[in-house]
Amino acid sequence: MKFIKNHLMFILPLMAILLGIEFYLVFDRTTNSYEKGLKEGYSMLVVTNKPMELSVFKALNRHISNAQKIKRESIVSEIAKGVSKSSSKEILASLPYFYNVGLDSYLSTSGLNKIKADLEADKNIKKVETFGSSYSSSYRLFSFIKFTLKLFIVFMGVVSLFLIIKQMEIWKYAHKERMQVMEIFGAPLMLRSGVLFKVAIADAFIATLLTSAIFLYVKFQWAANSGIDVMMENQEELFRLSDIAILLSSALLIVVIAVYSVVFSSKGVEE
Amino acid sequence: MSNVINASHITLAYDNGEKEIIKDASFSIKKGEFVFITGPSGSGKSTLLKALYGALKPTEGSLVVGGLDLASVGQSKLQELRTHLGIIFQDYKLVNEWTVAKNVVLPLMIAGYSVDVQNTQAQRLLKHVKLSEHADKYPLELSGGEQQRVGVARALSKNPVVILADEPTGNLDDYSSNVIWDLMENACQQLDTTVLVVTHKIPTIFSLPYRHFIIESKGVYEVH
Ligand SMILES: Nc1ncnc2c1ncn2[C@@H]1O[C@H](COP(=O)(O)OP(=O)(O)OP(=O)(O)O)[C@@H](O)[C@H]1O
Ligand SMILES: [Mg+2]
Repeated sequence: MKFIKNHLMFILPLMAILLGIEFYLVFDRTTNSYEKGLKEGYSMLVVTNKPMELSVFKALNRHISNAQKIKRESIVSEIAKGVSKSSSKEILASLPYFYNVGLDSYLSTSGLNKIKADLEADKNIKKVETFGSSYSSSYRLFSFIKFTLKLFIVFMGVVSLFLIIKQMEIWKYAHKERMQVMEIFGAPLMLRSGVLFKVAIADAFIATLLTSAIFLYVKFQWAANSGIDVMMENQEELFRLSDIAILLSSALLIVVIAVYSVVFSSKGVEE
Repeated sequence: MSNVINASHITLAYDNGEKEIIKDASFSIKKGEFVFITGPSGSGKSTLLKALYGALKPTEGSLVVGGLDLASVGQSKLQELRTHLGIIFQDYKLVNEWTVAKNVVLPLMIAGYSVDVQNTQAQRLLKHVKLSEHADKYPLELSGGEQQRVGVARALSKNPVVILADEPTGNLDDYSSNVIWDLMENACQQLDTTVLVVTHKIPTIFSLPYRHFIIESKGVYEVH
């Protein structure tokens, strides 16, 4: 009973850290594609006096990644219904040029305003229309969620680290006597701390296994049946095999640091 | 013959040198000598042994054991030296989560002997200290005197070059005490082991020549 409790007190905080790391990885990956989606779905409408090349737009602001000309003929055919061919030609001649301008990344409102100002500074550009308000609010919500999640993960990590250190102190107390006796009889460090290492490394494997199991479950069972679009679309991103390696090495690193801190602080025979 | 231990004007102190226990003591002990150390309680007998196995560095003077100056020795050399010492503690210092047999062969384990060798040695040693039937018990299941004998068996298990014993018979009746004294005499006589024993009572029946040090008012004196 005490044995199980001892291990759980170590495995649980370790798992909390690993879950945090994995959450972070998954969040980064899924929001990357979300960000991409937002970015691709977003564009500005630019009205110009004469035709303009993409390179010209790019020269005005480097965040502009594409410019799609809107066919003027279709606009004219809409407004010039029932008008004679010659007058529709006149309308076409007097009509400005329209472009859908796409951006290369997800920008804040001030970034957008900068682009707008840069474009409007060009004398050939008559008007720039952004879809600022809806864009900005979704962006803000997005950054807020991103920020709080990261904050939460960091907070959880710090608390868990404290718990691990606490547990390590208990271990240290439990193993101190033996390690001191072994030291007096000339046992090298590795032999003295061998048991601690074995126990801690076993715990690191268990924690990694459990964390991976949770995410595999989320990926293949929960996400697939959740009905949540983002989850189902990004199912592949939820857990990658390479994540196991990341988690295991993180767990081992934490464990090795923890064990060494115990081993070195229990040096010295006298108290 | 060469000195196994050479102390020259050593001062031993606790609390960062503030609490002096032994001051300006000098003595030397040759290989194969048998030494009794006596003195009042609290005089510093255990402290002296602690210094001899390198757990307390002298604040002054030089203390050389087995050719190593303990005031300046590095960790790995000290580790090596300790594998040649057989230390018996006043408070036993057994590992309570290990069986008696495993405790006894700790020095063999550290030296990397095979489990087979460890097992045979454990049986042999426990027979010597009359604890054969307790091999698979844990220290806390034994009486104080029995635990003490486990400590003695452990110290002797790898035929140390030097035995440092702190009240090895402190908890034993005359019969058990004599068993211990016999073991130490044998080690000294047959293996030329150097033996330092802290005791409050020098055995009346003792067949070897021995030296006798008294620790008193911070000094180490030899009785002739
Ligand atoms: N770790 C320590 N820190 C500070 N003082 C200590 C420490 N260990 C022992 N002392 C003090 O050093 C003095 C000598 O202690 P030591 O244990 O060497 O005495 P001793 O001669 O072995 O006594 P006893 O016969 O009772 O075992 C005592 O006054 C004791 O209080
Ligand atoms: Mg003492």
